[in-house]
Amino acid sequence: MKITLNVNGKLHDIDIDPGEYLLDVLRRIGYKSVRRSCNSASCGTCTVLLNGKPILSCSTFAASVDGQSIETVEGMSDGEKLHPIQEAILEEGGAQCGYCIPGLIMTGEALLRENIDPSDEEIKLALNGNICRCTGYEPQNRAIKKAAQVMRGELDE
Amino acid sequence: MLSNVNEYFRPKTVEEAYELMQNDRDHSIFLSGGTIVALMESSRIEKIIDLKSLRLDTISVTEGEIVVGATTTIESFRKDPVIRKEFDDFFYDAFSLVGSWQIRNMATIGGSVAPKLGWSDVSTCLLTTGSSLMIYGVDGYQRMLVSDYFALPTGEKPLITHIMLKRDGWVSAFEKFSKTTFDIATVNVGLSIIPERNRIKVARVVCGSRPQYPARFESVETAMVDLEINDVMPAIVRSLVYESFTGGSNMTASFEYRKHLASVLAQRAAEKVKEMIT
Ligand SMILES: Cc1cc2nc3c(=O)[nH]c(=O)nc-3n(C[C@H](O)[C@H](O)[C@H](O)COP(=O)(O)OP(=O)(O)OC[C@H]3O[C@@H](n4cnc5c(N)ncnc54)[C@H](O)[C@@H]3O)c2cc1C
Ligand code: FES
Ligand code: FES
Repeated sequence: MKITLNVNGKLHDIDIDPGEYLLDVLRRIGYKSVRRSCNSASCGTCTVLLNGKPILSCSTFAASVDGQSIETVEGMSDGEKLHPIQEAILEEGGAQCGYCIPGLIMTGEALLRENIDPSDEEIKLALNGNICRCTGYEPQNRAIKKAAQVMRGELDE
Repeated sequence: MLSNVNEYFRPKTVEEAYELMQNDRDHSIFLSGGTIVALMESSRIEKIIDLKSLRLDTISVTEGEIVVGATTTIESFRKDPVIRKEFDDFFYDAFSLVGSWQIRNMATIGGSVAPKLGWSDVSTCLLTTGSSLMIYGVDGYQRMLVSDYFALPTGEKPLITHIMLKRDGWVSAFEKFSKTTFDIATVNVGLSIIPERNRIKVARVVCGSRPQYPARFESVETAMVDLEINDVMPAIVRSLVYESFTGGSNMTASFEYRKHLASVLAQRAAEKVKEMIT
């Protein structure tokens, strides 16, 4: 069957199998930041934004999001210039192996769009579903807080 | 991938969706949030009937009760201003414990009740608030309590279209124990009371993940009637739940462990309710 996806503002007409997952379709059309880890809705690595909200692409049928808007980490940077969350993750040591990072950044981005000044508790609750094997979470939580300060104009980029 | 799926339907009406299911029940499945369907790895499924096209994702107030479309996501429901205000953040707080933010943005209220899951925090909370369902089945539309839906024979697979809620003076609290922050419950407990002159006029006590689907403990509810709402009341509720607990063992927890957990969670819920009233 045919579906249309708006990925990071670009329209794609795609042939899919009716039982295919969004993760596989996104990777097939070139969005390789979208990664599989647990494949059972339990780790958050495959997080993308669907109409601005974080969802798990490993357990979303591609057919169910026909005509809708998807955002991946490929759409975050502006050419060479990284998004404040990406910059803060690097500065705070929030990425080690990096495997979980695209999903984590998308959840962080959705949080900051909803709440530009989140408390530590709110950050923890929002990132609860993004498992990281390497960092112990503290540097990632700090990074979201720092990115929020930058985005509020309280800290220089 | 569900590799045997060869047809994907987007019905426009409830009747059409139900008829599509009736045409080939063995090989068809309703899809709502998809957090269960997508993980099924079943070769039996050949036809997906997507319920999102029915646009049953609104929350409205009709004749004094709140009517929630079955495909409303858990996150939209808990954050809805009408739900937050009417239930004093009972659902807002309780559903923050459901899975992760991503899961709550996908999983729906209807999809949580329909499969009669033992661990569903959603089902426990709907039972705690005495909610009803509108279902569409062989006899057309029918309204029933969530508890009556759970008692339907397993073969009957009606389509849930709406969930109806009304506060009616009940004060509710929810407690959950799970092994990690977004794991499913080892045990969950919901407790509601109507207070009258500082005594309990009537109570609802619900326990889920026993591991069977959530059930009311009616003997506890009866024994709670007329109890004074004071500092010892939560401890009494704890002993009552301990004495009357019904459930079983599975790989997550033994019967004994669940019984202890349920009684402690009931005490905590009773403490919360007491705080809200006094
Ligand atoms: C990792 C993970 C953690 C979770 N943690 C929790 C938790 O802590 N607490 C909790 O309560 N839940 C939790 N859940 C969610 C829960 O287990 C279910 O996945 C979810 O509630 C199902 O909702 P859905 O809308 O995605 O249903 P779907 O997957 O779309 O459907 C589920 C079943 O119901 C049927 N169905 C769906 N809608 C209808 C309808 N309107 N009428 C009739 N039949 C219908 C479908 O055919 C299917 O059989 C978790 C899920 C995952 C994957
Ligand atoms: S790969 Fe999707 S949640 Fe783990
Ligand atoms: S940086 Fe390695 S899993 Fe997160």
